Amino acid sequence: MMKRFLTLLMALTLLAAPLAAQSPGPLRIEIDEGVIEPLPYAVPDFVADTGAAAELGRNIARVIAADLSGTGLFRELPSEAFISQITSFSSPVQFADWKAINAQALITGAVSVDAAGKLVVRFRVYDVFAGQELGQGLQLVGTQDGWRRMAHKVADQVYSRITGEGGYFDSRVVFVAESGPKDARSKRLAIMDYDGANVKYLTDSSSIVLAPRFSPTGDRILYTSYETGEPRIYELNIGNVSRRVLQTQAGTMSFAPRFGPDGQTVIFSQTQGGNTDLFSMNLATGSSTRLTSAPSIETAPSFSPDGRQIVFESDRSGTPQLYVMSSGGGEARRISFGQGRYGTPVWSPRGDLVAFTKQSKGRFHIGVMRLDGSEERLLTASFLDEGPTWAPNGRVIMFTRETQGASGRASLYSVDISGRNLKPVPTDTGASDPAWSPLQN
Amino acid sequence: MNTGQIISGAGHLALIGWALFGGVFRAEPLPFAVTDVTAISGEEYAALIAPQTAPETAVDIAAPEAPEVEESAPDLGSGADDQPEITQPEVAATPPPDTRPEVTEVTPPAEAEVSDEAPELTPPAEDTAVLVPDVAPEAQPQDADRVAPEPVAQPEPDTQVDDVVQPETVPDQAADTPREETDATAPEEATTEIVTEAEEPAQAAPSRSLRPQTRPARPEPQAETQTAQQAPDEPAVDNNAVDDAVAAAIGGAETGTATPSGPPMTRGEKDALRVAVQRCWNVGSLSTDALQVTVVVGVTLDSAGKPTSIKQLSATGGSGGAVSKAYEAARRAVLRCGANGFDLPRDKYDHWRDIEMTFNPENMRIK
Repeated sequence: MMKRFLTLLMALTLLAAPLAAQSPGPLRIEIDEGVIEPLPYAVPDFVADTGAAAELGRNIARVIAADLSGTGLFRELPSEAFISQITSFSSPVQFADWKAINAQALITGAVSVDAAGKLVVRFRVYDVFAGQELGQGLQLVGTQDGWRRMAHKVADQVYSRITGEGGYFDSRVVFVAESGPKDARSKRLAIMDYDGANVKYLTDSSSIVLAPRFSPTGDRILYTSYETGEPRIYELNIGNVSRRVLQTQAGTMSFAPRFGPDGQTVIFSQTQGGNTDLFSMNLATGSSTRLTSAPSIETAPSFSPDGRQIVFESDRSGTPQLYVMSSGGGEARRISFGQGRYGTPVWSPRGDLVAFTKQSKGRFHIGVMRLDGSEERLLTASFLDEGPTWAPNGRVIMFTRETQGASGRASLYSVDISGRNLKPVPTDTGASDPAWSPLQN
Repeated sequence: MNTGQIISGAGHLALIGWALFGGVFRAEPLPFAVTDVTAISGEEYAALIAPQTAPETAVDIAAPEAPEVEESAPDLGSGADDQPEITQPEVAATPPPDTRPEVTEVTPPAEAEVSDEAPELTPPAEDTAVLVPDVAPEAQPQDADRVAPEPVAQPEPDTQVDDVVQPETVPDQAADTPREETDATAPEEATTEIVTEAEEPAQAAPSRSLRPQTRPARPEPQAETQTAQQAPDEPAVDNNAVDDAVAAAIGGAETGTATPSGPPMTRGEKDALRVAVQRCWNVGSLSTDALQVTVVVGVTLDSAGKPTSIKQLSATGGSGGAVSKAYEAARRAVLRCGANGFDLPRDKYDHWRDIEMTFNPENMRIK
C-alpha cells in the first residue's frame, strides 16, 4: 500500500512540476529606491468670470504657487511652457498637453464676484498622468479683501490632496519686531501671515516684550513683558487687543508661558529667591500649582498635544538638558544625552518629535529628536539659532537666526524637518521669537 | 534429437562454461594501499615500551631555601630628586573667542568656548604612514533639489534635462546625408542624501572596513510556480506534496493556461525594469505617514510595454489617506516611466504582461 502511494506521489510530482514551473504567474519586482524631488505642477491664472475679477484670478494663482513652491516639495512649471490654456473652468482638461510638459499636478480655478460683492473662488486639482481629479471641486466665498486668505485655503487643500497631510498656509505668526541698534533695540509684538504678509503691531515699543505664544484657538496670545521692570506674563486678546496681567505670587518673576491644549491651563516659570521652578495656572480661577521644586533652573515648558505631559529644560544634571514629566508634576525623565546644551524644547503638534535649540562647540543648532531622545537630527547651524516653533502640520519649523557683530540682525527662518528648504521669512524689520498659530477657521 | 538441438545445446554449454570459468562474474579486486612494516623481536618490543611505565613517586623533596630578607631600608640618599623632564605636548592654538551675542534673553555662550577635551597631539610622520592609509577625503554629497539612488553632477547650463545623456549635434555641411540638429541632454543634478546645514564634514579615514554584501536570499520556489489563479498575497501554508502536485496539475488543466513563450526573464532584465520604475517613483511630496506605507500594485502591460491597467492589490503600514497617497505616487511612477513603453524583451511578453510591483519606502524615509 505504502509502495503504491509513493509511486503515485512521484508520478504526480513529475507530471505537475513542469506545468507549475511554466505557469505564467505575474512577474514580481520590488521597488525600494526612489527619488526625492519637487513635484512639477501647473497653476494657470484662475479664470475670471468678470473683468473686475481678472486681476484677482491672477493674484490668487500667484499666492497658491508661492505657497506650494515655498514648501520645497513642489516645483511650478512656467506659464511659457503651457501648450494648452485653461479658458473655462468647466471645459475638459487636455491631459496630453499637460503630460507633454511633465506637469504631474494641475490646479484650475475660477474667480467671480457675486451680486453681494462677495468673492467666489472655485478650484479643481488633477492628477495629470492618471487623467483624473484628486478629490472634488470646491468653492470658497469671502470678502474681496480676504483674497489672500482664500488663496492660502486653496493651497492648503491642494497640499493636503497631494501629500496626504494637512497644510499650514492659512496660518499666522506672532513675533517680536525689532528695530534700532543692538545696544538700544526696541521691541514690540507683531502678527503677520505665515509668509510675511499683512503685518500688524500688537504693542508699542515702550517696554521689552519676549516669547509670545498662541492659544490653541489662535485668538489669544501669552507673552512676557518688562513693563513693570520685572518680567510678568500678559494675556492678549488679538481681536480687540485688550490684555491683562496674570496674577502670580508677589515678589516673584514669571516668564516663559505656554498654553495647554485646553486653552485654560497655562504653564510657566517662576523665580523666587533665586530658584526657578515650573508652575501651572488655571486662567479661569487664577489658582497656581507648583510642578517642580528642585534647586536647579526649570524653564521653557511645552505641553504634549494631549496635554498629559510636559517637556522642559533643566540644568539639574549640571548643564541644560531636556526632560519630560507628567503635566501634573512628579518625576522627570531626561531625554537629551548628546554633547552640548539643550534648551527651548517644543512638542510637535503631531506628538512624535520635540524641536529644540542646541549649543555645541560654539555654534547654535535647531534640531529635532524623538520623545525617547533617539534619532536626534540637527537641521541648522549658525552663530545664533534659537526658539523653534512648529507649523500646524508638524512638517516645518520656524526659528530666530541672529547674525554676528555689532550690526548683527535678528530675522526669522524656516526649515523642513528633513533639513531641506532652509530659507528666510521676509519681514520688514528685525524679527525674533516667532510662534506659529494653528490653522485659521 | 535433431541436429539443431544438438548444436544449440552444445553452444549453450560452451557459453555457460565460459561464463563460469572464463571470469565473467569475477569482480576486479578493490584497490588497496601497501605499507612496509618491520618485524621486531619480543625483547626489542619490551625495550621500546619500557620508558612508558609510570615513574616512581618521589616522597622526600628538599624544600628550596628561602631568600634572605634584608630588613634595613635601602639608602635613598638625602638629595632631592631631579625634576623629571616632561615635554608638554603641543597644544593646538585656541581660536579667538566668538563675539558674545548681544541678546539679553539668551544665555551667553561663554562656557561653550572652553573645551574640556584633551588637546589633539600631532602624531609623528612615521606613525601616520603606518596607521592611517593615505585616503582621499570622502566626497560630501552635493546639495541638490533631487535625491536619487545615484548621484548626478550638475549638467551644463545650456543642457536640457532628460533621462538620456545625449551630446549636442550640429548640421554637418560636409556630410553626405544631412544630420538633424539636436540639443544636448543630461539627467537632472541629483544627490544621494539630504545634507542639512548642520552636517559635519566626513572623516578622511574610513570608520569601518567594507564588508562583502550578504548574498541575497533565493527567491521562494513557490513564487516562481504560483498559478495565475492563486491570490497574490495568499500565504503558501499547505506543505502536503501530494496536494500541491495534484492542485498544480489540476489547476493547469482546468485553466488551460498557455505555456509562456520564450525563455524566462533574466535577472538583468528584471533589474532594468526595476531601475526604470524607481527613476520615476518620487516620494518627495509624500507625508511622513504615507512614507510608512508599502503598497503592492498590479500592472498589466500591452505588448509595447505600456501600462493598460493599474490597480492596488494590497498595502501595509498605514491606513486611509496615507495608503491612498502612497498608491497614487506609485501609480504616477508607472504611468510616467511607462508612457512610452518599458524597454522589455518582446519575445518574453507572456512573462511580463502581468507584473506585481511592491513599492517599499523604507529606505526613503530619512534620506
